[in-house]
Amino acid sequence: MDGHMTPGRRSKVTGLEQAAILARDALQERPELCLGGLFKQGRPVALVRALLAAGGRGLHLYSSPGAGYDVDLMIAAGAVAEVFIPGVTLENRLCPNFRSAVESGQVTAHALDALTVVGGLMAAAHGVPFQPIDALRGSDVLRHNPLLREIDCPFTGRRIHAVGPIRPRVTFLHAQEADRWGNLRHLSTMVYADQLMARASDLVIASVDRIVPDDVILDDPTRVSVPSHYVDAVVEVPFGAHPTASFPHYAMDEEHIDAYADLGDAARAGDGGGLAAYIARHVTGPKGQDDYLAAIGGAARLARLEAQARAR
Amino acid sequence: MSGAVSPLEQMVVVLARDLADGELGAAGAAALVPMAAIMLAREMHAPNLTIGGEMFFNPRPGRLFASMLDDRALGRCEAAETFIELFGHSHHGLDFFFHSGLQHDAFGNINLHHVGGTLHAPGMRGPGAANLSYCHTSTRFYICPTHHSARNFVEKVDFITIPGHLSGPEAKRAAGLVREGPRLVVTPRAVLDFDPVTLRMRLKSVHAGHGAAEVQRHTGFDLAITGEVPQTAPPTDAELRILRERIDTTGALRA
Repeated sequence: MDGHMTPGRRSKVTGLEQAAILARDALQERPELCLGGLFKQGRPVALVRALLAAGGRGLHLYSSPGAGYDVDLMIAAGAVAEVFIPGVTLENRLCPNFRSAVESGQVTAHALDALTVVGGLMAAAHGVPFQPIDALRGSDVLRHNPLLREIDCPFTGRRIHAVGPIRPRVTFLHAQEADRWGNLRHLSTMVYADQLMARASDLVIASVDRIVPDDVILDDPTRVSVPSHYVDAVVEVPFGAHPTASFPHYAMDEEHIDAYADLGDAARAGDGGGLAAYIARHVTGPKGQDDYLAAIGGAARLARLEAQARAR
Repeated sequence: MSGAVSPLEQMVVVLARDLADGELGAAGAAALVPMAAIMLAREMHAPNLTIGGEMFFNPRPGRLFASMLDDRALGRCEAAETFIELFGHSHHGLDFFFHSGLQHDAFGNINLHHVGGTLHAPGMRGPGAANLSYCHTSTRFYICPTHHSARNFVEKVDFITIPGHLSGPEAKRAAGLVREGPRLVVTPRAVLDFDPVTLRMRLKSVHAGHGAAEVQRHTGFDLAITGEVPQTAPPTDAELRILRERIDTTGALRA
């Protein structure tokens, strides 16, 4: 042989704690954090908890246009300064800590709409200075939306809107599978805005339910939802979206989210003890995902969520 | 059919009857009643109605769900999209969409942002809303809150999240709202529509077991009721049977 050593390709697999430190340090430069998924599905909640445990602070939160539990939890943990998400709700009830923090002025919740957020991510993903929008009329949101400008359409002369690039410093995604190079596979029916966020962001960290062999990716490249080119780090976290869903593997844990919301409502009414204990038990206490899964009820509870995901 | 018609079942049949074959539409955020209405329309008279515009096409849920943004609710669906395609749908519009909010006013404007105070110092902060476009890029929309009281039906909303008819024809024109906007308001008590000249809400019919005076008492603005108000046509036996046996298999509309 000529002595040539074939260089090894670098694996993007890392641990939860290392990923959180990477994110925390990047967010200290610029606090824009974007979360994948939508409402109670495909949310990177294990990464969110790890970031909270690592001491993330003063965050500006972005997401696909609808979020709930994880945003409320980050607010409850005191990590959020501003929210740039059009809809923040648990769907069956309001987000208690979001409400409290906005009503008391502790957190600024901007009035936005889906097209502004998606259009801003599109501009960043596509590398253009703005995205035109021509479908916003008559809403008071237009008088308050900080990301929108009015422009004259250069072709028709009509007044339309424009949104500049939204370029998150860090995006957290959750997918069902990835290989060690960071090629993601969403096996859920919906992929939300995850593909757009991956292309719009500086640093992309994904949690996955499992790392799969290279051949799984190579055998079906059309199934890759986010190519590894857009992904900086990938973490294998079983049940990493809990208490949100990771279809088709497990359903959302509505009981857990409701119990959390009851504690948030109690905190609103002046009794914050339960909420503080919840954060200690689920966020700052667990040494890792195994500890967390034990805290939420262990194997029996997880088997129930898996069964619910199958029952369609 | 055994069992009295529930208020939500009555809402579903009113909405279903107004959806036409061949149309494209979606349920919106509070999906329970709208999705039941869409599915009932497809079973009764609109087999070519396409459910689309919310990142999936033609889902076949085995039961009703409170939210359609749930893979279980999609059951098996024909195709999935993403927020990129939703951007296009929002511009092109649908034939119909559904909305409800914290407050609804006399011109069909809807508030989901705050009650009392201001946006950044709210008395009560609501959830906000994602899609503000379907209300005016779509041919029409329906307002279908599952409560009807003087607290959520107010003369003027504190914040216009979803524009209805604003303050009437002139304001609507000035804002560039060129489509029909809200067509019907369907609640557990009654059906309301809008005066074609002033675009103010008025009482169209009351559901069985409800009266005009009662609806007025639970509405925070004048419904200009004159004379006899008709009763909402109740569900037919066929509508109720299909609704209960094929769509609402778990009785969510009767809970």
